Amino acid sequence: MLPEEIRHRLETRIAASAHPRELVVDVMYELQNHYGFLNDVALREVAELLQLTPLEVEELATFYDFIYRRPVGRFVLHVCDGVVCWMFEEQSALDYICKLLGVAPGETTPDGQFTVLPTVCVGYCDHAPAMLINGKLYGPLTPEFIDRTLEELRSISCDLVLCR
Amino acid sequence: MPYLIIDNRHIQVPRGTTVIDAAERLGIMIPRFCYLKVLGAVGACRMCAVMFEAGPVKGLQMSCMVQAADGMRVSTTHPEAVAFRRQIIEWLMINHPHDCPVCDEGGHCLLQDETISGGHSRRRYTGAKRTYPDQDLGPLVQHEMNRCIQCYRCVRFYQEYAGYRDLGVMGIASRIYYGRFSDGALESPFSGNLIDICPTGVYTDRPSRFLARRWDLQRADSICLHCSLGCNTVAGAHYRAVIRQESRENVRVNGSFICDRGRYGHAYANLAERPRQSRLDGEPAGWREAAREAAARLKRIAAAAGHSAIAVLGSARNSLETQIMLRYLSHHAQWRPPRFFVNGSEARSTAAVVARLDSRLAAGLPDLEEADFLLAVGVDPVNDAPMLALAMRQAARKGAKIVVLDPRPVELPFAFDLLSAGLGDLPAALAVLVKTAVSQAGTDGCEAQEKAFLAALPGRVPDEKLQGQLGQAGGWLAASRRPAIICGSAIAGPELAGLAADLALLLQTGKTPSRLFYLLPGPNAFGAGLLQRGSRYFPSLLQDIEKGGVRALLVVENDPFFRYPDQDRLHSALGKLELLMVLDYLPSRAARAAHIFLPGATVFEAGGSFINNCGLLQYAAPVHEGGIPLAQVSGGSHPPRAHAPAPGSEKCPSAYEALLFLANELAIRPPTMDASPWSLLPEDFPGQAELLAHPYPTDGLQLLPRLSEAESLQTPVNLPTSGPAAGALTVLRVEQTFGSEELSCYAEPLRQLAGPPLALLHGADADRAGVRDGEQLCFEIGGEKVELALQVTNRMAPGQLIIPHHYALGRAACRLPAVVAQAELRGLTGQDSPDLPQAITES
Repeated sequence: MLPEEIRHRLETRIAASAHPRELVVDVMYELQNHYGFLNDVALREVAELLQLTPLEVEELATFYDFIYRRPVGRFVLHVCDGVVCWMFEEQSALDYICKLLGVAPGETTPDGQFTVLPTVCVGYCDHAPAMLINGKLYGPLTPEFIDRTLEELRSISCDLVLCR
Repeated sequence: MPYLIIDNRHIQVPRGTTVIDAAERLGIMIPRFCYLKVLGAVGACRMCAVMFEAGPVKGLQMSCMVQAADGMRVSTTHPEAVAFRRQIIEWLMINHPHDCPVCDEGGHCLLQDETISGGHSRRRYTGAKRTYPDQDLGPLVQHEMNRCIQCYRCVRFYQEYAGYRDLGVMGIASRIYYGRFSDGALESPFSGNLIDICPTGVYTDRPSRFLARRWDLQRADSICLHCSLGCNTVAGAHYRAVIRQESRENVRVNGSFICDRGRYGHAYANLAERPRQSRLDGEPAGWREAAREAAARLKRIAAAAGHSAIAVLGSARNSLETQIMLRYLSHHAQWRPPRFFVNGSEARSTAAVVARLDSRLAAGLPDLEEADFLLAVGVDPVNDAPMLALAMRQAARKGAKIVVLDPRPVELPFAFDLLSAGLGDLPAALAVLVKTAVSQAGTDGCEAQEKAFLAALPGRVPDEKLQGQLGQAGGWLAASRRPAIICGSAIAGPELAGLAADLALLLQTGKTPSRLFYLLPGPNAFGAGLLQRGSRYFPSLLQDIEKGGVRALLVVENDPFFRYPDQDRLHSALGKLELLMVLDYLPSRAARAAHIFLPGATVFEAGGSFINNCGLLQYAAPVHEGGIPLAQVSGGSHPPRAHAPAPGSEKCPSAYEALLFLANELAIRPPTMDASPWSLLPEDFPGQAELLAHPYPTDGLQLLPRLSEAESLQTPVNLPTSGPAAGALTVLRVEQTFGSEELSCYAEPLRQLAGPPLALLHGADADRAGVRDGEQLCFEIGGEKVELALQVTNRMAPGQLIIPHHYALGRAACRLPAVVAQAELRGLTGQDSPDLPQAITES
């Protein structure tokens, strides 16, 4: 169940909007940040808030990389899959990360720390190859840099998956 | 008018025509997947690439995205275009499964055809194919997502064109998935069209799955008989069973699509319990023997009690040929003129429509699509005639304002204004709305009679809220340029039909020339209306039977028991008959009660002509010979391998043939079998001369007078006044999309979709009666129980109890009372209610 405070805030915003449908991504984010990912309950709540059908929300939720329809780890590594990053393909960052964490793209490490997702261009081409972790950009990625970054992340606390 | 050259052939096309359509006019079918004329172009699949060699556009372009222009020279066979298309098809085939031999689409698959014609025959891709789980989309449509080539046709039809919101496209890139949020039956009553428009086998016809290849079917052009719109179909039969129907394009009627009631309603033709054996006094008899005995008995009765002791009952599902033959037979045998409607209100409504509709007023479905204001009164489009809702949606998509004036909680797949008015208030509300509009638009063009009529119209309805809504809607009507009035016949009486015509005429004299669109009770109700002239209605016939004036009744393709309210009276009256002869293809109660029964032939076997609600005569061709479906005779074993007539192959003569046989037996100036049925037309039949000038069968002839001869704009205007007294509820019996119409309610998949029957009640009435949403209503009538769940809604007009005609309610439901007191409702829910609620005791 969505807390009354969040529900009220969203309902106020929706009521003030001339085209409530345009708020669908914002509402999905809000609920995702509350639940940790956009589960089926959350998806139906989004639909109800915006008077859409669950299908219409699902169409958008599954289109966007940053809406998670399945549980994710504490840190979500959006590894850039853009053209400029491809140019550094001889040391594929995605392959290295997957090998290092022992997961395939889209999977979460068994300890629940990291989820690896390839993502369309994150716009950090001047630091290619790049990735985005919980809303923060990292690059250029080298094996050493990746090792160090992941080691640091393991030791800090970050409760929410946050994407800006 | 652009003039262009395609493949060295010249063509001139209207401005705005795309090159792909221009080529089609020349008979050149440019390959395409995403493009569908009614849905418009999106240029997504890249399959229709052609070379523009000269003119304003140059190079390789998508022919669906380029409008024809002067000076264009287009080559569809340019090597570069051919190579491009070959690569596209190879790419689309990368993930496509090699399941053509077991795919139901195989043989009429666009992807199959274009893979072959595109020259792709050898797979170079050796990687893994992407696969998907399929969904259960309900009993009508089978889902097989692996076959998808991502053309988007299904979503564009389902969401944009038809306006339903439970099927869409999810995911992105190689994960793209077309389906529902979760398993479940598709909500749209137009879902079957997905099967027709999918270029491959993602959506296939579920009831006919694995039964036959398209090329094995006996196929013919047919007409849908499940409402009065007369949508065009192609019916396919296999091994003596009708197994599949597809939509057939007719730009004058249904456009490109049909509804699911029409597509899947044909099961009645294949029923195991369909009567195939003629019977004489309850005993099986040969067809000729039974028919001869019928003739002999008719002669005896005529000799003993006079010719007028014999009466005839046809129906609104008779073909026009049958109706004409009935009229001819009863005229020449001096029997009573034929009746076609059991329900007197339907007969009078149809008579009013037939008298009033003329070509200055009549609109067809395509005209409604072009309207900028639609006023539907006494109509629940999705439930009464689903394709009407689809046409109205197209108008809504183009910006038309749509107002529905009805007691029911009408739901439509587009934005509209529902003005709730009780059944008795509909005519007055309609009059107020139009009066407002004409007054606002000005009465400059009106003559004295029109002004007098306008003045005689009521200016107010008692309900203040409704009055306000009517005023607002009147303003929209006054501001519109192409309005149309849609008038139903299922719940409202003949007064509404006449008033609608008067008001449309009134609007025509003013600045907002309106068109008029009626719905009728049955696929050939229009024909029945034309031929019932001079005959009185069925209830009076029943009186004559009771008094002994009528001793023989010949019933052709009708079941008086189907909906006649007073079943006991009907039963005892029919029991008094010396001869009840029934000719039908349905396992009806009347068929069982008949002294002499002759099995009939369905439209799929006999064919026939039908006049739709707009007066358009259309011909349904016979699809197959008929006989008992092989699956029922063979007990599931392999069909016979030898070329010999299999058991059960005797075909039933059509009603026309049976009546002709009877006419011969009765020695009535027998027309020959090969004479055109039009030669039997009575002289007062409108369009008789025109019909005779056309060879039989005639298709697509509009049988409307230029100007109706009926009296119009008569004053004073007599409108029925408001409904029953306070505390009483008018019981409205209404149609449902599925499960209520006489023929389609035999179809099992549609029964599944019909759901359980629900009674609807307004919240205020429920409060006063002390009943709650979800309670079970239980009527006990004549020892039989009628049970249905109560649903409380505030979207409907108060003062009504809405109960659907529903196959599961059975025959006892015909006898539901016309009026129920609110106070009674609590008793009907089966709960003890010693104390009446406060509100009722006060009133």
